[in-house]
Parts: sequence; structure tokens; C-alpha cells
Amino acid sequence: MHRTIKVLTVDDDREFAAALAERLELRGLWARPAYGGWEALRIVEDWSPEVVVLDVDMPLLDGIATLGHLKRLHPGVEVILLTGRASVSAAMEGLALGAFEFLIKPTPIEELIRCIEEACRRGGEDGEPGSAPVQGE
Amino acid sequence: MNHPYANLSRRMTVVALLVALLPLNGLGLSLYYYFNYANTETLKEELRIRALNRASAIELFLAERTALLEVLAHSARLTQLSNEAALSRLLSIMNRRSWSFVDLGIIDANGDHRAYVGPYLLKQQNYRDAPWFQQAMLKGVYISDVFLGYRQVPHFVIAVKHDNGGESWVLRATIDSDVFNRLVRTAQVGQTGDAYIVDKQGRLQTPSRLGGKVMDKADLDLRAVPPGITVKERVNAAGDKVIRACAPLEHGNWLLVIDQNPKEILGPLNLARNVELGVLGLASLFIIAAVLIMVRLFIRRLEANDAERAALDAQLAHSARLVSLGRMAAGVAHEINNPLAAISELAGEAQDILDAEQLAKLEEGEVVGENLGRIQNQVERARNVTHRMLKFARRMEPHLESTDVNELIRETYSFVEKDALFNNVRVELMLDPALPLVQSDRAQLQQVALNLINNALDAAGQGGWVRVTSGVEGNELAVRVCDSGPGVPRDLAERIFDPFFTTKAPGQGTGLGLSISHAIMQRLGGSLELESKPGMGAVFVIRLPNRAPEAP
Repeated sequence: MHRTIKVLTVDDDREFAAALAERLELRGLWARPAYGGWEALRIVEDWSPEVVVLDVDMPLLDGIATLGHLKRLHPGVEVILLTGRASVSAAMEGLALGAFEFLIKPTPIEELIRCIEEACRRGGEDGEPGSAPVQGE
Repeated sequence: MNHPYANLSRRMTVVALLVALLPLNGLGLSLYYYFNYANTETLKEELRIRALNRASAIELFLAERTALLEVLAHSARLTQLSNEAALSRLLSIMNRRSWSFVDLGIIDANGDHRAYVGPYLLKQQNYRDAPWFQQAMLKGVYISDVFLGYRQVPHFVIAVKHDNGGESWVLRATIDSDVFNRLVRTAQVGQTGDAYIVDKQGRLQTPSRLGGKVMDKADLDLRAVPPGITVKERVNAAGDKVIRACAPLEHGNWLLVIDQNPKEILGPLNLARNVELGVLGLASLFIIAAVLIMVRLFIRRLEANDAERAALDAQLAHSARLVSLGRMAAGVAHEINNPLAAISELAGEAQDILDAEQLAKLEEGEVVGENLGRIQNQVERARNVTHRMLKFARRMEPHLESTDVNELIRETYSFVEKDALFNNVRVELMLDPALPLVQSDRAQLQQVALNLINNALDAAGQGGWVRVTSGVEGNELAVRVCDSGPGVPRDLAERIFDPFFTTKAPGQGTGLGLSISHAIMQRLGGSLELESKPGMGAVFVIRLPNRAPEAP
């Protein structure tokens, strides 16, 4: 890995967001947690990560709404949606709004990292958003 | 009311029967009555003519004999006629010509019997007080009613008076009752017909077949008989219907009566009438049976429709239950997934931090490391459970994923492979290796494939074969399922996708498989069609739009 990827992990479950960020750090990525939609938007503004790992089900500003704002303000940022439910409509909506991938919790760390790297590659190519398939598992 | 359609059935039956039977029976019965009326009228007319004819014949009989006696009385003198030998000769000559006189007598103005020839001893009798003698003296010619007289035998006489220059006498003849009765009886017809003569007092002048002997009262009220020839229907003492014709005889004292039971005469005509009634009855029975059968069939059809609807409702309710169950499962899985993810990450972080060196430093480091690994394993276990639950929930909604149709067919076949082997059905999979992936709902596609392959195995039967092929046709993927079975008859081809249409034995198939498969293929933007030619086995073809997922 030549280039260090900046990742923002967003989840209302603080332990999860923090632990995930910590683990990504230990694997050689730059990672920071955010504990809600608004906070995530603020940190993206200051820190401009390449990838945001975003929980769908959050109070106040949920993942889909956050994703909408993010894509409007920072089209270059790639977003990976995480969810505990496998709602097809949410997945469709998320992908339509330009999320890169839609994963179901709990996700093994290796899978998440592979997904982050892929997102980074595509972010670099500046490809068309929103056409990635939904992952079956 | 245990039958929801009992009322409807009753109403339909009543209306249909009324509509069918009323006009038919109206026509039939009016025909019947017209038959009756026409026949009776014909019979009455016939009786009227017969009464007229017979009355004329009887009158002629009496007139001829009266005339003969008048000629005799005028052409001979009293002294000549008083000679009994001559009188006897005269009588035998007359009777040789069948004039049917029983006796002849000459009575002078005092009523004394001057001469008599005949079977009775009446020579010494005096007739001064006899009504017929007085009437003859008064009127010149007199035909008596039947009376007993000196001989105490019922008979009637014709008496002719002759005046010859101051002396007058009466020539009297008794008519042979047998001959006269026979003559009257010619007016009666058949086994039950009757004909007789009554006098002004209603006494029988000739015997009646039914009504009794001469001199008896007839069951007839003369005052009710209008003048002229009359024909009337009446009911006699025995309760039978009788048609009675009455004709007055010209000499004014007698009435000829002809009774006729219409049943006997109208027999053949009534047979026709009864045949008509019989046909009417049969037609009515036939109509009733037809109506009952049709109503029964109609109600059965309704009940079958209701049963279908109920089964469909049950199916829908079942689907709805499955969907809500799926939602619940998804909710539960989601609630568990979040803490599970946190556990996984926290344990992972601990593992990340405690690398091998640090663990070695700890006294129980090995145990901690193992336990962290075990935590991850347990999380993996739980994750498998929740993801299965989510998968089940997702199956309830169309869920597009990139699908390898060939792999799906192979997997589906693996479900039924045992059945095929058991039934000795040879299954060939001829799958195009270059088949692209498609975006579709894998689970629902699998349901369709399973359905078609199952049907094909059933149709092929023991020792048959089933072939499944896949390939690209234009901008579509096509999967064909062919079998060596009898195929689908042309007249059923249009109905096989209808819900609840099944050719299998009752209890063997719901008749829902193909209709559900058809609906699924439409929902997925594809199609399911029957492609077979009659006489060959069935060929079902699934088509899917070839929308390959974009490679990430």
C-alpha cells in the first residue's frame, strides 16, 4: 500500500465506530470515528477523507440523508454503507445516491479493508457513481 | 341455511320452470280443451242428425200404418169387415208384407167388438170407456200411448174411425211391439248408447237399455224439454257424463230420446287427446329434469369459484404472513447485528493490540489470545444466524443480485436429483458455458426453475427423459425445460397458467405452480411460455432480459 487512505467511520454506536477506526489505524490506514451524521459532515469538511464508512440506521440524521449531503458537497468522497438490516429499498436508495457499496454488519475487517481499497481506486478514476451491485452477504 | 346458494338455487329453479313450463302447458292444455270441445260438438251434431233421421223414420212407420188402416176402413163396409174369416185373411196378407200388426178389430159406435182377429180373447169386450176409443171417435185417427188394456200386456194401438151414411165404426190395429222397439233401437249406437220413446207423462213407450221396462217412468222431466230438437250434456244417475238428444214425434204425444256416453264414441279421438297430454307430461318432465340439472351445474360452478377464491385468499394470507414474518426476522437480525458488530470490532481491536510479543509477556497471554479468537468464532456463528434470517426476509421481496443462471439450474437440479434417479428419469443439462450473469432475484428464479423441472419429471414419468438447456437469444437469456411426456393438448394450452388449473389427480397438485411461476417471471421483467407442438412433449421456456451487472 503506497498511498495512505483516509477513512472516516461513522456510527451512533460509539464503541463500534471507535474500535473500527482503531483497527483500521493498526492496519496502516488513517482512520477517525464520528458519532453521528452532522459530526461526520463537519469532519469531512475539515479533514477530507477519501472514504466514509457510514452506518445507515442512526438517529437525527440517518445514513441515507448523510450520504445525500456528502455527495452534494463532496462528490469525490466514496461512501461504503453499513447496515444491520438487509433492506433492499435502503440499499437501492443508497446505491442510487452514489454509495460505492452496501455491506451487512458484522463485516469481517479484511472484507471491509478490501472494499475500502476498491472504493479508493474508483474514486481515483472518478467513475460513474451508483452502479455497483449489492453484495449478497 | 347451510348452503349459501340454496335461496338462489330455489329462485333460479322456480323462474326457469315458470318460463319454460307455463307457455308449454298453456298451449298443451288449451289444445286439450279445444280437442275436448271440438270432439263433443262433433258428437252433438251427429246426435242431432241421428235424432232427426230416426224421428222421421218412426213417424214414417206410424204414418204408413195409419194410412193403410184408413184405406182399409174407407174401401170396405162394416158387414164385410165383420166377417172374421175375411178379416183374418186381410191380417195375414198385411203381415206377409211385414206390416207388423198383431191383431185387427172392428168396434161399432157403441163400443162393441164386432169382429176380432189376433192372439187375444177380446171378442166380447166393450170399449165405450177406453180412452183410445173415445179419442178415435172424436178425432177420426188416433195413435194411443202404451197401455195395458183388457189383455194386461203393454201395447199401443192405431185406431181409425169411418163414417158411412149415419153409421160409424172404428178399425183398430195393435202394433207389434218387438218390431216397433227394434225400429226405435236402431237409433242407439255402441255398447252404451240408449234410445227410447216417452209419452207426455214421461212413461217409457219402448224399453230403455238402461232406464227400464215399458210403462216405467223415465228419468226425464218433460217440462224441461224445450220444443224442437235439442241436444244437451247431462250427468246420469250413475254419475257418467251423457249427451242426450230429444226429438218430438210429429203426432205430438211422444218424444224420441237418444242417450250417448261420449267416452265410447270419442274413444279414438280421446286417444289422440291423451297422447297429446302424455307428450305434454313427458316434455314437462324433461324440462324439469333439464332445469334441475342446469341449475345444479350452475350452482356447482359458483361453489367451485368460491372454493377457488377461498384457496387464493388463503394463499395470499399465507404470503402476507410470510412477509410479516420476514419483516420481523429482519428487525430481530438487525437489532442483534449492531451489538454483534461492536463485539467483533472490540475483540478484533484487542487482538490487534495484543500481538504475539505482548501476549508472550503476559502470564496467561495464551489463554487471552485463544479467548479473543473464540469470541470471533462465536461472533461468526451468530453472524451466520442473523444473515440467514435476513436472507429469508429478503426472499419475500424481489431482491436483484447478479445471478449465474447455469449454476442456479445445477443447484436446482441437485434438489430433485434423487427423485429423478428413483423414477429412472434421465436428465440432461445442456448449459451454454458462455452464458452471461444477469441481474435478477435468485431465490424467485430458483422457485420457477424448480417448479418447471418438477413438472417435467412428473410428465416424463418412469423411464422418460428431461432436458434443460440455456442460451442467449438476441438480447434475452432463454432457459428451456423439455420432457418426453405426452405434451399439453392444444385445448388446454391456453389455460395451464390459470390459477388452480391442474391436470394432476385431486390432491396431487394445487394448480398454483405454473400460475405463480408465470407471475414471478412477469415481476422479474421476463416471461414464461409454453412452446411445445401438440403430440410432442411439453417445452416451457423462461426468458430473462440480458442485463449484465456492470463489473465493479
